[in-house]
Amino acid sequence: MSFRRSAVPDINSLRPIRVFNTESFRSAALFASLFLVLSWVLLGAVYWIVDDTQTAALIGAIDADINTIKNGYRAEGLPEAIEVVHQRLGSGKYAGADLPGGYILIRDVASGTMAGNVRPDTLQLGLFNLSVPRSGGSAATVLGRGGYIAGGIYLFVGRDTAPIAATRARILKAFAWIEGAAIILAGTGGIFFSLQFMRRIDAIARTCQSIISGKFNDRIALRGSGDELDRLALAINNMLDRISTLLDSLRQVSSDVAHDLRTPLTHLRNRLEEARQKALTTDDYAALVSHAIEDTDHLLAIFAALLRISQIESGSRLAAFTALSLTELLEQVYEMYRPVAEDEHRVLLHDIQKDVRIQGDGELLMQMFSNLIENAIRHAPSGTRILIRLARSGNTVTAAVEDDGPGIPAVEHDKVFRRFYRLTRSRSTPGNGLGLALVAAIANLHAAKIELADNHPGARFRLSFEHLA
Amino acid sequence: MNILLVEDDMELAHSVGEHFRDQGYIVRHCADGESGLSSACQEDYQVIVLDRMLPALDGLEFVRRLRQRGVRTPVIYLTTMSGIDDRVQGLEAGGDDYLVKPFAFAELLARVRVLSRRPGSAPEPAIHLTLGSIELDLLKRTVVRAGKNIELLPQEFRLLEYFVRNPDRVLTRRMLLENVWGINFDPQTSVVESHISRLRAKVNHGFEFDVVQTVRGTGYKFLAPN
Repeated sequence: MSFRRSAVPDINSLRPIRVFNTESFRSAALFASLFLVLSWVLLGAVYWIVDDTQTAALIGAIDADINTIKNGYRAEGLPEAIEVVHQRLGSGKYAGADLPGGYILIRDVASGTMAGNVRPDTLQLGLFNLSVPRSGGSAATVLGRGGYIAGGIYLFVGRDTAPIAATRARILKAFAWIEGAAIILAGTGGIFFSLQFMRRIDAIARTCQSIISGKFNDRIALRGSGDELDRLALAINNMLDRISTLLDSLRQVSSDVAHDLRTPLTHLRNRLEEARQKALTTDDYAALVSHAIEDTDHLLAIFAALLRISQIESGSRLAAFTALSLTELLEQVYEMYRPVAEDEHRVLLHDIQKDVRIQGDGELLMQMFSNLIENAIRHAPSGTRILIRLARSGNTVTAAVEDDGPGIPAVEHDKVFRRFYRLTRSRSTPGNGLGLALVAAIANLHAAKIELADNHPGARFRLSFEHLA
Repeated sequence: MNILLVEDDMELAHSVGEHFRDQGYIVRHCADGESGLSSACQEDYQVIVLDRMLPALDGLEFVRRLRQRGVRTPVIYLTTMSGIDDRVQGLEAGGDDYLVKPFAFAELLARVRVLSRRPGSAPEPAIHLTLGSIELDLLKRTVVRAGKNIELLPQEFRLLEYFVRNPDRVLTRRMLLENVWGINFDPQTSVVESHISRLRAKVNHGFEFDVVQTVRGTGYKFLAPN
């Protein structure tokens, strides 16, 4: 059916795009981005530290050379300083040489006497970068310090920064590789995990889909690992079991209702048909109409009882529970039914312990015991003795309604509490088969255990309450 | 006798209205809560018959506002809400009686007659009740008819007390179950009949006049003895 498809989108469409739209992929992407940002911060720190250390070392070497040359000049004048420069450079050439000794210029500004391998017009002061052409035509970036070591004597000492640049390039390259690998790993990992996660989610969704399309007994397969998805699947399975039990009982109830309402409705219909065909006098009509009203009242009583059972089963009455004396309640029930039993030639007796209190709903408990006693009065023969018992032992209160009538066959003990269930021999007596179902519902609401047992002879309905007050 | 009928089901309102008119009542019908409330506050009714689920103003709120404005007219609900809590809520809101649909008109009539006699407030707490030659002592729980002591069981005494408080009115089986035994379900056995026959035997013993009259198909009526 196509309208069902539209309610839940087909889980196999859109698969490639869906991977990126999963929670696990999103978290993988988020963590990968966080990792990238952190690694950039780390890169910045490493880059700065290495660069700073190397530059400081270079400046240290430059300052050491400056001191040596300065000391030479102070001790023996300009020629000695020039000699030192030559020794450092290992050659008399001023410029264009790539020498390990670095780049030096010493110059007497007044006389023009000079030595070194840097352009003689360099007279800048302090620490600065200088571009010096190399022999191959390229230019070296030289970091150096310039200044006057005495009046009119200018000295510049510098070193090639190429090694620093090379280190920088190596660091960046290494990071580029690491970052690339990380992005690829995070991406594929994210896709892998989300695919795996999605496969299990899809399995759950497929099961739900098949339940929607009518296979109510399908359940989600468990992996057995007990992980979070297994726990979720287990919870869903338990929920489905519960729903399925409820559905079954609902189905049972509705078919019971439909079936058991048919009988009184048939009676009513026959009655009305009879009136149309056979009634001749107004007295005939009056009699048939009052029978029809009785039939209608019987139907309404069934509805009322069903409504009451479902209302009790909903548990909403729990809020109205109070501490009450079961002793007084049962004494009242006894007083109420003693004359009824007498008129019906049954004997109602009681053995009720004093001061027994429980938590409960007085009105419903009254109805429960009334139903049990009426059940005994109506279904046991004349002369039957009916006993109401109440006793407390420890934390359990036991109330019972016993008779010495013909009893109820053991095979039917569980069935009598079902809605509309009636013993074969009781089908001729009036009743709707809902009295004991109501008793069971009220007992359940009070968390009381209800048992039907053989009373040797007769039937014994026993209720055990734990909610003591 | 004036009755206000607030009911949005036109068919039911028509049928109930006709029945009451046949019994000699003057019936005013309102189809929604708002107009019903303003009519209830402006005019003098003996009883208000009120549907619990109404358009514009819900039945419970109707009664709350009516009582807030100091109108003490007795209210009986007609309702499809048969829950145990629904009844309690209805009475707590200030209603006086509660009848679940569907109902026999005789049941509604009996209840309206009992309500309409009330002076708009609960009966005064009395120690002695007297009706004709019958005297009840509510503290000592004793009954005397024309000077003769009558021994009654507690439930028989409560039954007699309810009768004596509502003489010459038809009291239905359900009214007796509600007011004497405090139960709102229908017993499947003749609880009321059995108790009435015992009460009748005890109260009439040695007298010719039968105080309890059976109204066929409806209930019982208590008559004051000389």
